Amino acid sequence: MAGNFWQSSHHQQWLLDKQDLTRERQYDLSIFTEDEYQKIFIFFASVIQTLGEQLKLRQQVIATATVYFKRFYARNSLKCIDPLLLAPTCIFLASKVEEFGVISNTRLISTYQSVIKNKFSYAYTQEFPYRTNHILECEFYLLENLDCCLIVYQPYRPLLQLVHDLGNEDQLFTLAWRIVNDSLRTDVCLLYPPYQIAIGCIQFACVILQKDHKVWFAELNVDIEKIQEICRYIINLYELWKQYDEKKEIQSLLAKMPKPKPAPQR
Amino acid sequence: MTNSSQRYEKIEFLGEGQFATVYKAKDKENDNIVAVKKIKAGSKIEAQDGINRTALREIKILQELNHKNCLVLLDVFSQGSMSNVSLVFDFMDTDLEVIIKDNTIILTTPNIKTYMIQTLQGLEYLHLNWILHRDLKPNNLLVNASGILKIADFGLAKLFGSPNRLNTHQVVTRWYRSPELLFGAKQYGICVDMWAVGCILAELLLRVPFLPGESDLDQLTKIFQVFGNPTEQNWPGVKSLSDFVEFKPYPPVPLKNIFIAAGDDLLDVVDALLVLNPLKRKNCSETLQMPFFSNKPAPSINAKLPLPQNIKKKDLEKPSLKRKLLNSAEGGTLSKRLFF
Repeated sequence: MAGNFWQSSHHQQWLLDKQDLTRERQYDLSIFTEDEYQKIFIFFASVIQTLGEQLKLRQQVIATATVYFKRFYARNSLKCIDPLLLAPTCIFLASKVEEFGVISNTRLISTYQSVIKNKFSYAYTQEFPYRTNHILECEFYLLENLDCCLIVYQPYRPLLQLVHDLGNEDQLFTLAWRIVNDSLRTDVCLLYPPYQIAIGCIQFACVILQKDHKVWFAELNVDIEKIQEICRYIINLYELWKQYDEKKEIQSLLAKMPKPKPAPQR
Repeated sequence: MTNSSQRYEKIEFLGEGQFATVYKAKDKENDNIVAVKKIKAGSKIEAQDGINRTALREIKILQELNHKNCLVLLDVFSQGSMSNVSLVFDFMDTDLEVIIKDNTIILTTPNIKTYMIQTLQGLEYLHLNWILHRDLKPNNLLVNASGILKIADFGLAKLFGSPNRLNTHQVVTRWYRSPELLFGAKQYGICVDMWAVGCILAELLLRVPFLPGESDLDQLTKIFQVFGNPTEQNWPGVKSLSDFVEFKPYPPVPLKNIFIAAGDDLLDVVDALLVLNPLKRKNCSETLQMPFFSNKPAPSINAKLPLPQNIKKKDLEKPSLKRKLLNSAEGGTLSKRLFF
């Protein structure tokens, strides 16, 4: 999405500090370790990704939904709203904001139900407990907690431009794109502007593919320190992913999650 | 947000549009007068879609904007059911439609310049940010008591720039709708807004809507009766538009015969905006560069723009210090009466 990033709400209000995140998460981190907390977010990023793919949404919509999800919990404890409800709500709001047609609520819920049942049964065994009115109510809290900032800049467009500048290597582009998708499972979308994330992912892809683009990187007018930080987040993600079996662990993690108070009956 | 429904105290009903009702209200936290735009919940089926899409569009775009000629979103809140959203804006005293229709107001060339410059600068900012307004009309150009014009109503606004993306042509109030939209174009750009600006300028001069078509076909007839028919020469590709129809040939009418009182430099502006071929229309920056805006007489100072009488009266009842100073500096409002 075009426009001026530097004057956007994304740049002015939604690039957070590491310290801010730590402070906001204090409560949740008294229950979980850092790693456990991240595992929960890896899990729900996959839930959003799978639901989005099932609904045939574009990656842009899925990415925006994931950023909404992360932004919400950057300010709130997991006990405020059940992430199982917030995940489809983010998809619902993002699809409207990105103008890719409204998904009917019934289709959203039925698709979500089948996704949870067929792909994530290792995490949730019981019936999906939420209905349309829950999503509609939740959508409002989401909008409020986003401070009505709905436009999210994603790394995909800068990635395309940068790879084009590098000489359009298909292999590099595909890999970097996948790394950008994976980066949604880390905090980088809350901490760094999208163009830096794109550069970080390109560098990561270059290392994996053993491509030498030192000169190109040297000419970039960018804070290399930040790029290294982004890469470190991604390395940590892959390390964490490798040494852990979601299917075995996630259920006990979810059980540990602080629960919201039962919703008032309306 | 949920608590702020008590924060605003309704004062009076201001108006109703297709998607919303607008109230004047007082912000109890700071005593500011604001406008509350309550988005209509719509039918039951629409309510199933959650937060109204028109409202979302406005929220999403307004949140990113910051320009003196664009209306700023102050707050968003809900009342009662969750899908019922209200947006809070700065209160604006009147709009250009009211000013145009008020025949006690005389609009001089400097006045028109100031209104046009403000419209074009606000719109230039939108276009530079890849936003199409898609519903420009005098009614959506709000004016406050200090003569500041702000572009409002972003319910149809859309980000543009994706080359392969199709848009609906059912946008823009008919009288301000450009010929390419009327011919069913689904890929279009800032030129649709520029045509509307041209119609608004014409309306400022004529004081009645310039092209008040009664149906889409009548709208095209009215356009061609002034500008002549489009041909493949003056508008390449026009015949391949999906809803193109051949019209009975009309000869173009010189603008001078329609806008008898307007100077040549002003007619050049009308001429640059109301071009049948969308690609030949000037954009905001180009238009602002035209001699009309730098020629004498200079544009009026905002505070000196003529406004409907009821607004002045309100100010007289409880004049603010600023207003008093301005009035005394201008020699009071009396000088304007000399016109009649």
